Amino acid sequence: MTKQLARWLSPLLLFLPLLAAGQGERPPVTNAYFIQNAIVVQQPGTVLEMGGVIIRDGLIQAVGKNLKAPADAKVLEGDSLYVYAGFIDGLSNVGIPKPKEETGRPEVKDPGNPPNAIAGIQPERSAADMVDASDKSVEELLALGFTAAHVVPYGSMLPGQGAIILLGGRGQTGAVYRPESSFFSQFEGSRGVYPATTMAIMAKWRELYLQAKQSKDHSARYSSAARGMARTAYDETLEAFYPVIDGKQPVFFAVENVKDVFRALGLAKEMGFQLALANADHVEPALADIKASKTPLFLSLDLPEEKKKEEKKEGSSGSDSTRTTPTPTIDTKMEERRAAAQRMFEEQAAAVAKAGVSFGFSTLTAKSKDIRANLGRMIKAGLTEDQALAALTTAPAALLGLSDVMGTVEKGKIANLVVTDKPYFAEGSNVRYVIVDGVPKEYEAKKKKKASDPNAKVSAVGTWSITVDVPGQTTTSVLEITGTADDLSGTITAEGETRQLSGVSLSGDALTFTSQFSAGGQNLTLSFDLTVDGDSLDGSVQVGSFGTFDVEGSRTSKPDRQ
Amino acid sequence: MRFSKIFLFLGLFLTTAGLAAQVVGKATKGAFLLKNATIETVTKGTVKGDLLIQDGKITGIGTSVNAPADAKVIDCTGKFVYPGFIDGGTNLGLVEVSSVSLTDDASEIGDIKPFLSSLTAVNPSATAIPVTRVSGVTTVLTKPTGGLIPGTASLINLVGYSPTEMYAGYQAMQMNFPSSGARGRWDRRSEEDRKKDEDKKLKEINDLWAETKLFASISAAKAKDPSIRQTYNPTLEAMAPVVDGSMALMIEVDRDKDILSALKWIKENKVNAVLSGCAEGWRVAKEIAEAKVPVITGPVISIPTRQSDRYDQSYTNPGILAKAGVQVAIRSNNTENVRDLPFHAGFAAAYGMGRQAALEAITIVPARIMGLEKELGSLEVGKTANLFICDGDPMETKTQIEQVFIQGWEIPMNSRHSLLYDEFLERSPGVKN
Amino acid sequence: MKRYLHLLTLLLASLALGAQTPTGSVHIKNGTVLTITNGVLTEADVVVENGKITGVGKSLRTPAGAKVIDATGQFVMPGIIDAHSHIALDAVNEATNPVTAEVWTGDVLDPFDISIYRALAGGVTAAHAMHGSANAIGGQCETIKLRYGTYNPEDLKMQGAPRTIKFALGENPMRVHGEGNRILPRTRMGVEHVFRQAFSEAKDYMAAQESYQKKKASDPTAVAPKYDYRMETLADILRGEIIIHCHSYRADEILMLLEVCKDFGIKRLVFQHTNEGFKVAPELAEFGAMASVFADWWAYKFEVYYSTAYNAAILTRNGVVTSINSDSEDYIRHLYHQAGKTQRYGQLTDDEALRLITLNPAIQLGIDARVGSLEKGKDGDIAIFSAHPLSIYAVPQMTIVDGIVRFDIKADDNDMRLSVDPEKTEDMMLEYAVEHRCMEGVEGHAAHHH
Repeated sequence: MTKQLARWLSPLLLFLPLLAAGQGERPPVTNAYFIQNAIVVQQPGTVLEMGGVIIRDGLIQAVGKNLKAPADAKVLEGDSLYVYAGFIDGLSNVGIPKPKEETGRPEVKDPGNPPNAIAGIQPERSAADMVDASDKSVEELLALGFTAAHVVPYGSMLPGQGAIILLGGRGQTGAVYRPESSFFSQFEGSRGVYPATTMAIMAKWRELYLQAKQSKDHSARYSSAARGMARTAYDETLEAFYPVIDGKQPVFFAVENVKDVFRALGLAKEMGFQLALANADHVEPALADIKASKTPLFLSLDLPEEKKKEEKKEGSSGSDSTRTTPTPTIDTKMEERRAAAQRMFEEQAAAVAKAGVSFGFSTLTAKSKDIRANLGRMIKAGLTEDQALAALTTAPAALLGLSDVMGTVEKGKIANLVVTDKPYFAEGSNVRYVIVDGVPKEYEAKKKKKASDPNAKVSAVGTWSITVDVPGQTTTSVLEITGTADDLSGTITAEGETRQLSGVSLSGDALTFTSQFSAGGQNLTLSFDLTVDGDSLDGSVQVGSFGTFDVEGSRTSKPDRQ
Repeated sequence: MRFSKIFLFLGLFLTTAGLAAQVVGKATKGAFLLKNATIETVTKGTVKGDLLIQDGKITGIGTSVNAPADAKVIDCTGKFVYPGFIDGGTNLGLVEVSSVSLTDDASEIGDIKPFLSSLTAVNPSATAIPVTRVSGVTTVLTKPTGGLIPGTASLINLVGYSPTEMYAGYQAMQMNFPSSGARGRWDRRSEEDRKKDEDKKLKEINDLWAETKLFASISAAKAKDPSIRQTYNPTLEAMAPVVDGSMALMIEVDRDKDILSALKWIKENKVNAVLSGCAEGWRVAKEIAEAKVPVITGPVISIPTRQSDRYDQSYTNPGILAKAGVQVAIRSNNTENVRDLPFHAGFAAAYGMGRQAALEAITIVPARIMGLEKELGSLEVGKTANLFICDGDPMETKTQIEQVFIQGWEIPMNSRHSLLYDEFLERSPGVKN
Repeated sequence: MKRYLHLLTLLLASLALGAQTPTGSVHIKNGTVLTITNGVLTEADVVVENGKITGVGKSLRTPAGAKVIDATGQFVMPGIIDAHSHIALDAVNEATNPVTAEVWTGDVLDPFDISIYRALAGGVTAAHAMHGSANAIGGQCETIKLRYGTYNPEDLKMQGAPRTIKFALGENPMRVHGEGNRILPRTRMGVEHVFRQAFSEAKDYMAAQESYQKKKASDPTAVAPKYDYRMETLADILRGEIIIHCHSYRADEILMLLEVCKDFGIKRLVFQHTNEGFKVAPELAEFGAMASVFADWWAYKFEVYYSTAYNAAILTRNGVVTSINSDSEDYIRHLYHQAGKTQRYGQLTDDEALRLITLNPAIQLGIDARVGSLEKGKDGDIAIFSAHPLSIYAVPQMTIVDGIVRFDIKADDNDMRLSVDPEKTEDMMLEYAVEHRCMEGVEGHAAHHH
């Protein structure tokens, strides 16, 4: 971390670990909380207007109208708040520290027979042993309203067993709700060693499963009559299969496409294990099979990058108007097909819902910053808000066997709640509180950025004093914009350090620019997205992957003439 | 032919003569009278009659050709005579076994190497040469590959024991035009990086162009005033005839956008250019026609350039180009299977080009593009006797090519392939018992 | 009677649950019908009902609901079969071990591959989707029907086709394992050892299984040998349940595998590529081994330098059941043209040439009772051409699989992809023509080594 960055962003960076640690060192004043006069969405379709929720010792103590605030309860402030059951992530790596990326092929003497760890065959491992509640992925998901997740280890073919964790639960013991909740697998080969391809993964699956059955049977016989019998060999890999064989542990398969969906369904049918499909992006052609086999399904919250329309200049030729061959028609059709493909992915959730298949969501490959937008795109493509809410709450609770304790706002359930200032899926809705295990965390409402006006005539030139609003901390810096409207440049100065701006552009009243920091070999980009209104501006800055923060400012001086 | 007793006898003789029986034999020169043939001249229609070959030239075509008494008469009743096919893009003679790198003389180290001449490395004894010529392909452009400027390609006749003997009078500088396209799915460069790489390469070419002009003017000054110093610069020396337009520049380019930028560059620099490849030529056929730049396209029998293309796009490409008014020749772009050239033309014919245009695309059109239309590419009196006798349409696979003449040499109709056939059709000894 | 009804219900239920092959009915009228097994019929009809051929002859009646196709002036032949292909696969080589008998391309079928449609547009209806040639004993292969349009990989499988496995001799396994990983085989001697070792171990495995089966009932302490999927597969080869399809070039290595198979009692053997098969045609014929060859590929690597385009003709004349294959997403589109080359190089008759891409590959894949000729009772897999398919000017017009039209030149359009990138429209890849996948999945090796 460079000194400059440290100085400039020190308040921000100091604050980040605090966000994750929640309340800090001091014990909480009380373990009771009260939400009043709220719209309590107990479960999709069941709404309690002007309701209240009492939380005590981690559980929902009461839900109803005309509840009185208990004397020892802290009242969560807010007008007409919306209360939902905390969201449940059906499959992700959240809270599991990402292993260092290894490049190149591992050094193995015999690539056809590598050690299990290199082959990616480690079903004996458990995500529960790896959870780190302070991992920054936890905070990102928490801020969206997720309070519990089914997490699995990183890896290849058989990375290990999954665990249900509470996001924001303190330490490993507080975070893990249920260890060894699933047996995780994916069609992910090991680079350069066996099994490298999906072909070999399928073969290895069959072999391991049948060997495990054999070994399980042998063990049972040996334990009842060992004398004269060859002893059983200790094999933790095969033993990890036993609960799967007994039907006590479902096999969660992360799938990349509809072909994988069919492959996993086929393998489950052939071997006879209990399957759950996770992170699926396209399942429509397999819906009949999924329905018939009652396979739990978790759709990916990742969607293809949204494109309104392909930029004109990227057509297949620069001179569309002068061509005799019908390539413009072809180009148009290509763009139509691309757009249709984009739509197809957006419509998956609605199609699954329409088919009457209950499903949850998985964030395995989704970027946190896209998740709310992606939910919005799915709703726009036909998923109802109730269906979306079900897929975030009741459905995953049922599919993961958690319905008794999670998924709805009901008395006796774990107090995992998300509280918003508007309906969750409404535009401009902010998450105000996320309550996990009865402990609330407060979020500042983001100011609504003014919609920019592309036809506005404003000038950005001059000296501005701007403040960046990091929760609990605010930094002030000086922005200097020079040049003409077509050719702007500038600097930003904070804590006595001046940095050059790049890509300074004013379009209508929208002012955008970036500033680069290089920190420990890592490049950090501050992307400003501001709206100028007379001599004031507001908007936001995105700080690398740390998050987006509000910015406000006013012009302190203008050049003499413009 | 192959089943004739004489041939079997010859085969026997060769095998008994020793294990090194795989020699194709000698060509014979002299006067040949091809009697009673259906002569497909390509440029002057079909003539029923005789064709006379003397001193390497066609000296007579018609119904009353006066042949010298010693002329060897070949009865061509029911047979056809065609001009030898010309392949406008091969690596024949430069590459023996493509995966054995030490037998590959087409691809030299470096990016800009215009001083390399393919003719130097043509191996007259390459095994693929007899394999090619017995199919009726008598003349090929053989080209170096790799880098921005791989060197000069040379047109060779497929007869002779030295490159000089084989040289057929045309050379062209090769250029692989810069592209911002991804090389393949494994190409991880961002779009911007690809564009940067393209711009960088274009700049290199433009710099080379400017430097060559300066070099040429210094050379001209030196010719008048020997005291002017000019240092050895093989690159610019080799580029000089290209820049002054006396040597053609053959630009290999396939992607539609790249073709357009190549056309722009050609116009700006007034280049004496030929486009080669042009797999996506059909997308910009009108622009190519307007630029009046000839095209040597192929292979025709290949997959389309994009997954979304029509399945037959590579087959229809030459026809679309021709219909738009582009001068189109067809090449195989191959080494060991240049013999497939008539089949590439056949596919183009079936998929929209028509038989006559497809036939011209492997005969007179490449001859015209290379400025050799007075010597090659059709059956006319005075032209080089590059031709062959066959028993049907030579683009049809069923047709047997019976006798090939190149520069008037009667070519032995043998190759490794036919000799192995002769030896192994009925193997002796066979299986014991 | 009751019992019969019960059986019937079971049968119907299993049909409903199992992967249903979609079938159709067509009546092709008034074409020149190239039956392959029964000569050429002019102005004749072919009728397909529910996926099966029910009539070949003159003036046949149109079954109810059948699509009528006028083939006047056109040529009707059985769907072309490619005995060596790597289309429709998401993975080709598990190149990590010299023996990978347990892996199977049937697990990685890719129904979206545009090559399936393009092959249909070349009259092909079935293909042998093979494992690559990186390993001496590669993976098991899948015989597929080109049912383009499905999203389910299972739908491509030709149910009931015999199991097959890919073997490979010579340069490819030597390069991948010997040169690449510094493990045996680095030479053709090593390749032979890999086979003999694998089969010998499989025999030991079978013996152990057998002894366990014998002991099991009487000895409560009997323990089954550890299940080994690789050994199970090799044992199935020894039991004659899997046909070997072996990538091969040189005569000496072909003879080597013949010897190995003789020693281990293996009889079902097809050589692939077999460039020097012509040198040992009498030995192949005597063994009963078959050959699937290229029409004219040679000289792209050293082990194919001494090749001849007359290979198919020599093999055919010596009584070896021979086919012409593609091993390429390009060549699979014009196998009719490749077969035509055997008329230039060896003057095969029309029937002989057409057999190379129809009945003979069907025999090699063990599916000749169902496909490969136009006969009553066979599958309704048919290709219709504008001219005689061996003519260079022939253009495929329509291709029918199980009685369903899967390619119709009149319905062809730009962009027949099933799966489209939602993030960007397609641009040209400069190296688009990497067409040979035999060595795909092998790190650091160019894809063009067949």
